[in-house]
Amino acid sequence: MSEVTEHLSERGIAIRLEKLSKTFPGQDEPAVKELSMDIFEGEIVVYVGPSGCGKTTTMKMINRIIEPSSGRIFIADEDVTDKDPDELRRHIGYVIQQIGLFPHMTIADNIATVPKMLGWDKQRISKRTDELLETVSIPNSYRNRYPKELSGGQRQRIGVARAMAADPPIMLMDEPFGAVDPITRERLQDEFLRLQQEIQKTIVFVTHDIDEAIKMGDRIAILRDQSEIAQYDTPETILTDPADQYVEDFIGSGASLKRLSLSKVEDIKTAEWPVAHLDDSHDDVREKMEESGREYVLLLDERDKPKRWVNREDIEQGISLKEAGWPAVAIVERHSSLYDTLDTMITSYRGSAIVVDENDGKYKGVVDFETVLAAIEEMRPQEGAVAPDFIAEREDLPS
Amino acid sequence: MSVETREAPRQEETPESPQQQPGGKSGGRSAASLGWTLARYLTMPVFLTLVCLSLYLVISSRPLDSIEKRTLNGPYIIHTVVRHLEISAVATVLVVLISVTAGVILTRPMMRRTAPYIVGVASTGQALPSIGVIVLIAVLTGQFGFKIAVVSLIIYAFLPILRNTMVGIQQVDQSIIEAGRGMGMTNAAVLFRIELPLAIPIMLAGIRTALIIVVGTAALATFINAGGMGDIINTGIKLSRDSILLTGSILTAVLALGVDYIAGIAEDVLKPKGL
Amino acid sequence: MSFPEYLTYQWDDLLELAVGNMVVVLIALAIATFIGVSLGVLTYRRPAAAQVALAIASTILTIPSFALFGIAIGIGLGLGYPPTIVVLTGYAILAILRNTITGLRSVDPAIIESAKGMGMSNWQQLVRIEMPMAWPVIIAGVRVSALLILGISAIAAYVGGPGFGSEIFEGLSTLGGVNSLNLVLSGMLGVIVLALVFEVLFAILGRFTTSKGLN
Repeated sequence: MSEVTEHLSERGIAIRLEKLSKTFPGQDEPAVKELSMDIFEGEIVVYVGPSGCGKTTTMKMINRIIEPSSGRIFIADEDVTDKDPDELRRHIGYVIQQIGLFPHMTIADNIATVPKMLGWDKQRISKRTDELLETVSIPNSYRNRYPKELSGGQRQRIGVARAMAADPPIMLMDEPFGAVDPITRERLQDEFLRLQQEIQKTIVFVTHDIDEAIKMGDRIAILRDQSEIAQYDTPETILTDPADQYVEDFIGSGASLKRLSLSKVEDIKTAEWPVAHLDDSHDDVREKMEESGREYVLLLDERDKPKRWVNREDIEQGISLKEAGWPAVAIVERHSSLYDTLDTMITSYRGSAIVVDENDGKYKGVVDFETVLAAIEEMRPQEGAVAPDFIAEREDLPS
Repeated sequence: MSVETREAPRQEETPESPQQQPGGKSGGRSAASLGWTLARYLTMPVFLTLVCLSLYLVISSRPLDSIEKRTLNGPYIIHTVVRHLEISAVATVLVVLISVTAGVILTRPMMRRTAPYIVGVASTGQALPSIGVIVLIAVLTGQFGFKIAVVSLIIYAFLPILRNTMVGIQQVDQSIIEAGRGMGMTNAAVLFRIELPLAIPIMLAGIRTALIIVVGTAALATFINAGGMGDIINTGIKLSRDSILLTGSILTAVLALGVDYIAGIAEDVLKPKGL
Repeated sequence: MSFPEYLTYQWDDLLELAVGNMVVVLIALAIATFIGVSLGVLTYRRPAAAQVALAIASTILTIPSFALFGIAIGIGLGLGYPPTIVVLTGYAILAILRNTITGLRSVDPAIIESAKGMGMSNWQQLVRIEMPMAWPVIIAGVRVSALLILGISAIAAYVGGPGFGSEIFEGLSTLGGVNSLNLVLSGMLGVIVLALVFEVLFAILGRFTTSKGLN
């Protein structure tokens, strides 16, 4: 995600909110107080905050489902604050938490709603429906089914498809994956991120779940009461450099752990461990071990896949290498997050994980706690948070 | 003939505003809602009083011919109203007793399977013309008069009240009954201590409905010489005197609306709190 | 003569009465549906107005029908069809109005919000979403009204209106005569048959006009 952010600021501003405020009648305090922000084209901006902070209200002011009390809204440099709202909304995709599929219409008719309003002809609509069904992985045979015949996850997908039907450049999503179980939710999130890579829409996403925000957002706006922005930045920055106590509290404990889920194991430097092959001689293996100064050697098979760990004793005893030592099981693929890697390492025998290529399983390197912690330290240059005795231990590691 | 306010015609709910604004409502509502409540309670009596006054003024301002004088005088009208109420009261009490008892019996577990059919028949039976029932009874028994009128009214009002009672009892939350059973209550105890008390609001509405149906249908008692307000209306029709016709009709309407109003107040007062 | 004999003898007359009864009920129902649904659409989003409309309609319903007929005639509508249609229409409005309001208000707000969010105007929302979804409830209301005014229509005969009421009143006036029971029975039977016909019609109507996705 970090590569995308740099390029973003080169794009145009898709949405600009200028001092947007909303006070509901009969209330003294505004629900949203003078919120200003810019959203770039093609980025996913996530609004997170506690219940009642006004994040949904703010999102709903963008398409004026809730009319602002004051302030202006610009979409692609056009001031739409006073534009005809129906016209405005036909060009913005809108997905709400309860989905709101029309129960008395078939799936196909649901999807076709906005295109029909925009005057598309039947053929174009039909083709678009086919495309969308495929995109959201719903079988085409479901076209004429009714919402009540679908599962919750399927309905959610159709809700997204319906919002994309007229190919709007902007989409507003209010807890769109909230109403399903965690497993389905994760799947939907992954699918959506894959989709966004292709379609590159500007998306405003509201959630109360900080983990979802970190996963989905190119930038996150952490909101206080009255939608005051506590911090509006990339997930990496927010995690490693929270603006104040409120943001820190919101992230909760485990910010560093969360940060780890954003990096891949292939990004960090691996430790140097001696490797040999199963069909090497005992002497070769011993030599490699002594050269490296390590206590263990990793044995690979003829296809360079990691197989076993052996130590000095195993070699002295002269057992066949194929049975000596113990099997190597703590293995992660290159694209795994640091978080998952750490998870694997904790349960491994010696606190290390073997990195392999995801396609052929070939050995790529070994990471251990020292390398992972070093990587974390690199992410937090301002903090001198690493304990001094730990630094001392690291000195003897080869660089 | 009365109108088949076979389902309670009142709208009991205060309509709620569909677009809710998030966030709390300010406290300034109570004064406004008090005003609304007063308006609701006072509108009908004020309206009825105005109608009666206007009627009185109009009638007394014109000279009445001899026929009209015989009908449009205080004593006669009062006598008729009283008679009307007598018929209605007797019939109402009896039909409520019979319907409620039948309703309770028909909602017992052993009757569970036949119950829907009965409710269905009762619903379609709404179309039975009240005049038909009255005349039928009269023809079958060959009798006219007070007693026959009461019997016909009971038969006519039975089905709708039965339906209301059954629906009212059936809508009592089953889990509450189960809780009672689980505590070791006997069937009778569950019935009298849980089901009936919880069914009271619907039953009150049913009684009120019974009252309206009976008061209204009693207007047709005139056709079997039982007396009642129908006499005046009928006289007006037969003798082509609009003044009599309108007086009879309007007074009958006022009577029905008045009874309904009082029943409504009683319903509000008698409704158990906490429901 | 016995009742079955009477029926076969009077078959065509009874049929004529049936038609007349049906016609007057259908006309009143049509007008009441138009008024009830329109008022419902106009007031369902305005609680105060809805309350007033419902109060008026239910007041009409509380007035005994004989009295209402009397008022209708007394204010100059004459006898026969005009007062009959006016009175029947008046009675039919409440159930239709009330069900329209309830039906429209019961549409899940999430569905309305997503319709609004898609850019549907208020009118489009009403016509494409709210009405189709409220339709089963509205039809139920029309059905209730139909049965209601069918029963009331018997009184109409007394003031010159069409329908089976005339059989009933004739039976009354010939009390003691040979045919009086037959007359009354045929009148009642006629109304019952018409009621059943209505039930069937409404069941079919409901099935055909309600979206499959709503059951």
